[in-house]
Amino acid sequence: MTALLTRIREVAIVRRNNRTDWILVGAMVALSSIGLLMIYSATRASGTFSMERQMIFVAAGLILFIVVSNIDYREYRSMVPVASGIILSLLVLVLFLPAKENVNRWIDLGFFNLQPAEFAKVVVIVALASLLAPQVSRDELTGPKPLSWVKMLQAVVLVAIPGYLILIEPDLGTAMVFGFVLLAMLFMSGATWRQLLSIFSVVALGAIAMLRFDLLRPYQLDRIRILWDPDVDPLGTGIRYQLSQSRNAIGSGEFLGKGWLAEDSLTSFQYVPEQENDFIFTAVAEQFGFVGGLVVLVLFAIVIWRLLVISVNARDRFGALIAGGIAAMMVFHVFVNIGMTIGIMPITGLPLPFLSQGGSFYLSMTLALGIANSIWLLRTPVPTENQLI
Amino acid sequence: MKFAVRLGILGGVFIAMFSVIGLRLWFVQVAEGPAIAEAAEEQTWLSKTSHGSRGNIYDRNGDLLVTSRLVPAVFVDRTFVQPDQKPELIQKLSSILSIDPAELDEMYEDAGINGRFEVTTVNNDLAFQISEQLSSLPGVEVVTVPERVYLSGDTLAHVIGHLGLPNDADLEERPDLDPTQRIGKLGVEKFYDEYLQGVSGTQEYRVRRGQIIDERPQSDPQPGNSIVLTLDLDLQQLVELALEQGIALSNEVKEADKEAGEDVFSVTERAAAVVIDPNTFEILALASYPDFDPQLFVTGIDGDTFSALNESFAFNNLAVSGLYPPASTFKAITYAAYLEENLPLPDADFVREGSEVNCDGELVFPLNDGSAEVKRDWYYPASLDWLGLSGALEKSCNKFFWSVGLGAWEERETIGDTVIQDWAKSLGYGSETGIDLANEASGIVPTPELFEEWAEYQRENPDEPPRLDPSRLNPELASPFFGGDLMDFAIGQGAFVATPLQAAVSYAVLANGGTVMEPRVVDRILASDGSMVEDVESPVVGQIDLSAETRASLLRDLNAVVTTGTAQAAFEEFGEGIELVGGKTGTGQTSATRDNHAWFVGVAPVDNPQYIVAVVIEEGGSGGRIAAPVARHILQYLMGNEPTAITAGDPTD
Repeated sequence: MTALLTRIREVAIVRRNNRTDWILVGAMVALSSIGLLMIYSATRASGTFSMERQMIFVAAGLILFIVVSNIDYREYRSMVPVASGIILSLLVLVLFLPAKENVNRWIDLGFFNLQPAEFAKVVVIVALASLLAPQVSRDELTGPKPLSWVKMLQAVVLVAIPGYLILIEPDLGTAMVFGFVLLAMLFMSGATWRQLLSIFSVVALGAIAMLRFDLLRPYQLDRIRILWDPDVDPLGTGIRYQLSQSRNAIGSGEFLGKGWLAEDSLTSFQYVPEQENDFIFTAVAEQFGFVGGLVVLVLFAIVIWRLLVISVNARDRFGALIAGGIAAMMVFHVFVNIGMTIGIMPITGLPLPFLSQGGSFYLSMTLALGIANSIWLLRTPVPTENQLI
Repeated sequence: MKFAVRLGILGGVFIAMFSVIGLRLWFVQVAEGPAIAEAAEEQTWLSKTSHGSRGNIYDRNGDLLVTSRLVPAVFVDRTFVQPDQKPELIQKLSSILSIDPAELDEMYEDAGINGRFEVTTVNNDLAFQISEQLSSLPGVEVVTVPERVYLSGDTLAHVIGHLGLPNDADLEERPDLDPTQRIGKLGVEKFYDEYLQGVSGTQEYRVRRGQIIDERPQSDPQPGNSIVLTLDLDLQQLVELALEQGIALSNEVKEADKEAGEDVFSVTERAAAVVIDPNTFEILALASYPDFDPQLFVTGIDGDTFSALNESFAFNNLAVSGLYPPASTFKAITYAAYLEENLPLPDADFVREGSEVNCDGELVFPLNDGSAEVKRDWYYPASLDWLGLSGALEKSCNKFFWSVGLGAWEERETIGDTVIQDWAKSLGYGSETGIDLANEASGIVPTPELFEEWAEYQRENPDEPPRLDPSRLNPELASPFFGGDLMDFAIGQGAFVATPLQAAVSYAVLANGGTVMEPRVVDRILASDGSMVEDVESPVVGQIDLSAETRASLLRDLNAVVTTGTAQAAFEEFGEGIELVGGKTGTGQTSATRDNHAWFVGVAPVDNPQYIVAVVIEEGGSGGRIAAPVARHILQYLMGNEPTAITAGDPTD
């Protein structure tokens, strides 16, 4: 009893001594503000409804961030089975709910559409970290401990189950995020090159099987093939139009941009389809130019940098893996999303963190950063507790 | 490797990924930015095309046959539809127009972003109703569009043709075509499409928030040219009706024959006829049965109707694309060649004084190509005895014209082996006449050279259906072409096939004294204000040597055919002026299991020919019995007599 009281007191001291990662928070707030400006510019033709809605999510997201920052992330370790159970049930549930535009992705809650796949990303990262972080104390550990093949297989299964459910929604982009995060976290956990290569081969074989057995829908294939195949949408009325309009808008932004809400901007008047969602970066690059695009890139780089710093400084491997996994998820989102708007990545429908319109996605991103901030706050070991590596 | 090092490596990978994005952004925005900006600015201009009204089509007397009227049509311009307005728009519009929402949705998606498409044409009431609701129907426009009206119904269908959307082949041939604009697919609508089609007008504008903010000077659509046909609507109607009656007559006769125990193989279904002016080569009537109503293609033709019409050959213009052995109608050409080339009759017991043949039905002769030729004529009434050229034409004696072919073959070393074929070719057989209608067939004139080509092809491609009997491929034969083939050719049979138009053209050349021209169905092309754009003349493409004596003798003997010869019964009721009409019957045989094709080619007046009439009733039976009465009916009209009922003539060759 006395020991527990001591520990609680010590944790409180640690918290007081460590301050919130204000750089991380600053970058997050800056990106969210840019997002609101862009959503307004992209949707004002039909009023301010979209922006106001997103403002509610930003406010909710910041509250979520504060709450989660104050929860000891180590508690999650015991919650993994329950959280996984809930998220898997939701992922199965969406498949049986009525489809929207032929896609089973959302649970209609009336005031907003819950997208379980977005929260699954965070749950999977925590679960993976829990699986991969060895539960041994620092004193017991002697020398580097390589990742066992058994553990690696467990990790693959852990990712594959939600990954498959998401793939058949279908949501190819989110399923790809899982693959990237898995590779990054296995690498951090000491996977040998041979292990990484074998995982990579399995993923590659899976991709070939998907193409071979027509598991992808025709439109998904088109969205990939359009990068090189002129026969896809030859009349330029569908995705080719979207891509070329996006390229036109970004290109015509030139160095300094046309200015926010510029009368001649393509993204102000819905010349670019999906410009408030997946193509939000197009609006940034057009209205604020290369400089604006670079600012957004740099803000994301700051977020990633802070996540890596948190990872290195985490008090235990569990926290370090979570922070690293979140960093990998962010990078992949940014790379695939911006890459898509400038025509170097396939159109996979991955949104841009903090900027794209959408509730579930925004909340899951602030949840992730909240957990990272909690890891940061608790980074200093408490002298009396059992030290885990 | 320590955890921090691994994290460092991962950080390096992340930096590389960000650098790729940054570099690409530099290229798109800074390096290529200005060029892209310029192109993008141009792209925000939208254009709206309105098609010019298609020109009218008139008959030779100025009767309006085809015109375009303006009808209201509902368009949707997606530029003015905000994405969230689409479901409601589709739902509203589909209920107003009674269109399946799924179909409308497909049209909407097919039009593409910022696309504009025609939903349907509507009647005035509906147009008014929609105009009232425009404020709640974003992007919807009611505009007038030209729509084709075929006033003559199914009359002249094959000459006029019909419209349709361009297919891939059309677009490849004419890349400037607008894929949403209907073009001519058949007949004059197709052949003169570029004259009939107007010039499209365009309007260019920029749209912001559903409002037009900027416009460029526009060009107005221009109506197309009008076309005046050489055809006469009244005559055409008479000819088409006569063909239908001829078919009915043929089926009546077949029914009777069947009851009498004779072989009948099919129901008569198809026929074609051509009336041409031999002096100008203007087509005065050109009919093919069965036919179709071109208006079907305006209002929309359903799949079942289309395939039923297609399977009945309704879209085939048999007058220019139907191939039939010309049979005894060709004897007039052999007649002319015999006189002009002084062809010898063979030295045989059935030839008397070198100019008369004993028409007793059977011909036996050992040919000098080694074959012992035996031919039997199915038609040899006892009245046929020794006949000279004139009598042979009048009574259609096969044995006489076989003998002409036989004599020419026996003398081929000195006169050449294609004398009669050369005459046929110079009169237009074996090649397209060049008429201003599409899908013309060229027919086949059998020659030793052609048979050798066929034999060679057949030896190299043994799997394909053979054209020649395999015994002719024997390499020991001097040629796969026998004397018997030339004999058959001389009576218009064998491998010889021709179109009704070719038969009419050959008679036209003989009738006008030897001038070969390309036939025309169009007389002149007029601008929308009525001024002349082009006076279409039939170009002269050849001149053959034909003596006045030969021409006069042929015309005289053609007259004898209808007064005392094979068409006598059919022309019994002709009335006044029968001494001025002439013609030749023909009964084309194709196989032992198909009914014969009934032919008649007529000419009038024989003292100064103005009309050539060619009639074919496909598998209709005997020419004198079935085709001659049809031609007589048409000739009665042309010569100013009251046309009398089409009743059976005598079964003759």
